[in-house]
Amino acid sequence: MPHFDWLVDGSIVGVYLLLTMIAGLAVRKYVGKVEDFLVAGREMNVYLGIASLAATEFGIITCMYTAQGGYQNGFAGATPGILQAAAMLVIGWTGFCIRPLRESGAMTIPELYQRRFGSNIRRAAGVVIVLGGLLNMGVFLRIGGEFLVVATGFDAKYLVATMAALLVLVAVYTILGGMLSVLVTDFLQFVVMSVGLIVVTILVLYHVGWDKLVDAVAMKHPDGGGFNPFVNKSQGWQFVAFQALHNTAATLTWQTVTARLLAAKDTKTGQQIFTRTSFFFVCRFVIPGIWGIAALATLAPAAYLTLSPKMQADSSLYAMPLFLSTFVPIGLMGLLVAAMLAADMSTDSSYMLTWASVIYNDILAPFKRKGWTEKKGLLLNRAIVACIGVFLLFYGLLYPLEGNLWDYLSTTGTIYLASMSVLLVACCYWKRANSWGAAAAIAVGALVPLSFLTLQKLAATHDFVVSVGPNWTGLIAYGATALAMVVGSLLKPGKAEAL
Amino acid sequence: MDFHGHPFWWLVTAAVVVWYSTITIYVSIRGMHDIRGMLQRLKDKQTP
Repeated sequence: MPHFDWLVDGSIVGVYLLLTMIAGLAVRKYVGKVEDFLVAGREMNVYLGIASLAATEFGIITCMYTAQGGYQNGFAGATPGILQAAAMLVIGWTGFCIRPLRESGAMTIPELYQRRFGSNIRRAAGVVIVLGGLLNMGVFLRIGGEFLVVATGFDAKYLVATMAALLVLVAVYTILGGMLSVLVTDFLQFVVMSVGLIVVTILVLYHVGWDKLVDAVAMKHPDGGGFNPFVNKSQGWQFVAFQALHNTAATLTWQTVTARLLAAKDTKTGQQIFTRTSFFFVCRFVIPGIWGIAALATLAPAAYLTLSPKMQADSSLYAMPLFLSTFVPIGLMGLLVAAMLAADMSTDSSYMLTWASVIYNDILAPFKRKGWTEKKGLLLNRAIVACIGVFLLFYGLLYPLEGNLWDYLSTTGTIYLASMSVLLVACCYWKRANSWGAAAAIAVGALVPLSFLTLQKLAATHDFVVSVGPNWTGLIAYGATALAMVVGSLLKPGKAEAL
Repeated sequence: MDFHGHPFWWLVTAAVVVWYSTITIYVSIRGMHDIRGMLQRLKDKQTP
């Protein structure tokens, strides 16, 4: 029987939601221009940046895939988090790519590419960023709704209503206040989310115990693969290599991360946000990973029978919320649900806004030579955010997720991460890079993961695609994209242009 | 100290709990200050 009590826990959740809406709506009066809406007038300081980045990069979706990683691969499931933390630290410390990007004064990455590669590349970059980003984000709402249904014991028939309610709340303050509302609500959500995550983790470590967690992983992976990704049968060196590339690329060009850099008040602040948030990316994988391992260690086989038949088919994804539903006591359950709602709302709001900013700034705006008035620009941005919200609802309902959730997110992310990271490095540091190379890199970078996703759905090619796997697909995508950039650039005659 | 044979992951887990608890308190206080400063600067910009 789930421990969610409507009076006690429901009240805690209600108070949290009320405070979030008040905070989100209160700052909308400061939004006067498109720059205020998209990058908060570039007035964000370092601690607000840390809170916002941490809250954005931890949603229910994160909690679900990292817990699934812990359930399936033990402590080795936290490997991507360690790799991303290393990437954040090195990039923030050296300013590699992010310094020239912030100093360029661009509002999005494609805007920077226009200066080096021309307006066609800017539009093409905008299209792949939006394509990869929206396919990636498309499953967020559904997974968030499923977590809430399982953890609180709601009837599964209310899943659509839960998803829609979550979306409407987020959309209201994001549409009205843009990045300013996102930053202020992110701060509140960071505090609520962090308190919930820390308290539940301490409770898990205290009651389940370190020895039991280690024993459960050792029993599932007798070869030691639960502690070492290199000997893990479903990971191996290919996984580590792909994740190293993927997480470095995400640190450099993931739109929500970049948005914080570009909203920072100066370059030094942007770099500090990167270095000081870096260890959070270890926490982001270890904390839910521990919850997933605790589910592995404590759930009896009969417990899974309470899941719907569809969820039972892939119980590794739902084991963690199922475990929490009976492990966390009444009162604390309200804090946990508020924390998870906070995590999800901050992620959804930021993602909707940042992808809307690319659609407006890099796909639509270049067509309008004279530009829009500030009023029309704001209206257009708000309409795009609303359209993305509608897309999320329908894509989440219609797309049947197959296989490991993190693999899906990595593959869809690669659609643009491979090409955008290669373009960014070339744009900043390779004088011979040009529009031919950029165009070839964008095409190849999108083609490989899109082929993987499409062929996976066809009966004739399904088995072949599964045998190749997401890790090799990712490695091929990054390698081929870099090669396309070099070959394309060298083929074009004429002089190179500096940034 | 009993790491149950896995000191690396024990230390990572301990570091996560300690670091995250500390940073939550610190960022909660300093972030509030940042919000006030940001809204004040935006207000000043709007005032002709």
